[in-house]
Amino acid sequence: MSRDVKNIQEEILEVIQVENLRKKYGAIKAVDGISFSVKKGEIFGFLGPNGAGKTTTINILCTLTRPTTGVSYINGYNVNSCPNQVRNSIGLVFQEITLDNHLTAEENLFLHAMLYGVSRKEFIQRKIEVLKLCELWEKRKMRIEHFSGGMKRRLEIARALINQPKILFLDEPTIGLDPQTRKKIWDYIFNVRKKKDITIFLTTQYLNEAESCDRVAIIDHGKIIALDTPENLKKMIGNDIITMKTEDNEKAETEFKQRFPEYSIKRLGKEIKIEVDKGDEFLPILVKSLPSKIISLELRRPTLEDVFLELTGRQIRENNNGKLEEEIPSFDLSTLFSFFAAPKKEENNKNSKK
Amino acid sequence: MNKFSGIYILWYREILIYLRNSLKFFTSIFLPLLFLVFFGTGLKTIFPLVSLPYDFAEFFFPGILALSVATMALSSTMSIVWDREFGFLKEILVSPVPRSYIALGKILGAASTALIEGALLLLVTPYLGINFSLKIFFGGLAVIFLIAYGMAALGIFLTARIKRTESFSILLQLIITPMVFLSGAFFPINNSPHWMVSLSKYNPLTYGINSLRWVILSHTLPTSTINQLTTNSFISSLLIFILFSIIITILSLQLFKRLT
Repeated sequence: MSRDVKNIQEEILEVIQVENLRKKYGAIKAVDGISFSVKKGEIFGFLGPNGAGKTTTINILCTLTRPTTGVSYINGYNVNSCPNQVRNSIGLVFQEITLDNHLTAEENLFLHAMLYGVSRKEFIQRKIEVLKLCELWEKRKMRIEHFSGGMKRRLEIARALINQPKILFLDEPTIGLDPQTRKKIWDYIFNVRKKKDITIFLTTQYLNEAESCDRVAIIDHGKIIALDTPENLKKMIGNDIITMKTEDNEKAETEFKQRFPEYSIKRLGKEIKIEVDKGDEFLPILVKSLPSKIISLELRRPTLEDVFLELTGRQIRENNNGKLEEEIPSFDLSTLFSFFAAPKKEENNKNSKK
Repeated sequence: MNKFSGIYILWYREILIYLRNSLKFFTSIFLPLLFLVFFGTGLKTIFPLVSLPYDFAEFFFPGILALSVATMALSSTMSIVWDREFGFLKEILVSPVPRSYIALGKILGAASTALIEGALLLLVTPYLGINFSLKIFFGGLAVIFLIAYGMAALGIFLTARIKRTESFSILLQLIITPMVFLSGAFFPINNSPHWMVSLSKYNPLTYGINSLRWVILSHTLPTSTINQLTTNSFISSLLIFILFSIIITILSLQLFKRLT
């Protein structure tokens, strides 16, 4: 029992602790031995491309999926042995919308409150609070089918707050939303953190969103390849970045290597990428000393995109076209046959999508 | 935390959706009546009724009533396929309410909506020339609730494993439709060929319809005539159906516990 409930008396400073977590689906390692911890009050981001293991990790931490091996603690409770206590300490916003379309906004909140054992009296107070926080108070009597994508998301965040969770899990909270709505959702997330003294764990594949987190774990192929504050991560690859287009990149590269062997240079498609200490001072020197004809030149501070590129050798968006394909419901003899002959196949497909 | 609030809220949701969806509510009442009027009248002309000691409506009504209640209950719990499709199932499953309570709330909710439908339809009884009394009304309600409950549990049992909506339509065609035809709702099973009679013995719905027929016709037809219309006596039909309901509840709760 002592392993099940960790330091229950003292205040828990690390609300999420994960030790060597693994999840295998057949031969596929969805999560391959990750360890990390999240401090109280943090916004912790999980950054990675599709299929990197983000959702699987969230599902394990929220007791929806059992890990193959590894221990994790949420709010001091062991996820494997105390799933109910864990579920009571968390609020969850899934990647897909999980509202009941038949009901109004208010009724969806009421349903959630009852499922989490919130008393009616408390519910009425909290309802006003969360609906106002997410600016849905005027829309509370409206049915969900008439809601826009952004409104649904906001309601889901409001709903997740009804049971006053210690940790809010957001799985790709802004996926499929337009940039404006995305920014708004983030305003709500910051607002929630400011007002509710809550820890937020979120996954994202948008790099600019990851920059708003307090700390970011970059995950790829089920492994955490870097974990730090966005600033420190960016410092990892050093300093300023110059991207340059010339008439003959190959020639320019060899010339650069001869003149400035101390700086790293990379060719990226039609561009050349150079990392330097003080970009603003180096730029005039570069232009003067390079004999090749320069077409364009750009100086910028490194982004998380550069960090990801540096660590994995590819861009985060490269394998982003493998979005889930919607299955078209159809009825013919072949589906009938496959229903009996190969029910296993369906499951394999499901797993490989995760 | 109060686990019963979980049962309550899922029960409440079923009722709310049923009563709010006025189209669903209307068709749930209107369709059985339509069946009774058109299908019943049509069939009446084919059956050689002169030789039978009962009126066709007396035979047809309890069957249609039981059938519409059963379909209502089945379709209510089988809607978890849609809940899964639209993501809502996940919200329920991740809550701290134990899975068996969730399934129970859903079953009771489905049975209650079917009970509302059944109660309204029972009020038609006196207009069909069937002797009616309060005893029949409440007895009928009890049996209707039992049928609805058993079928709702069966619905959970059948759909708990289904992940895709296409598989659902196959299930409907391969299991539900034969069950309806072999239940004795449309024709007295007793007069059918031997193989059909033996198949219907394995159909739980047969016993549900038997029980309802015994209750509704008790003031109208003599026991010997009702015996011709049913496969078992009232007591044995009722007991078999109760037994079925208990077993299917246990099975569906077990299956629902392992739902992902």
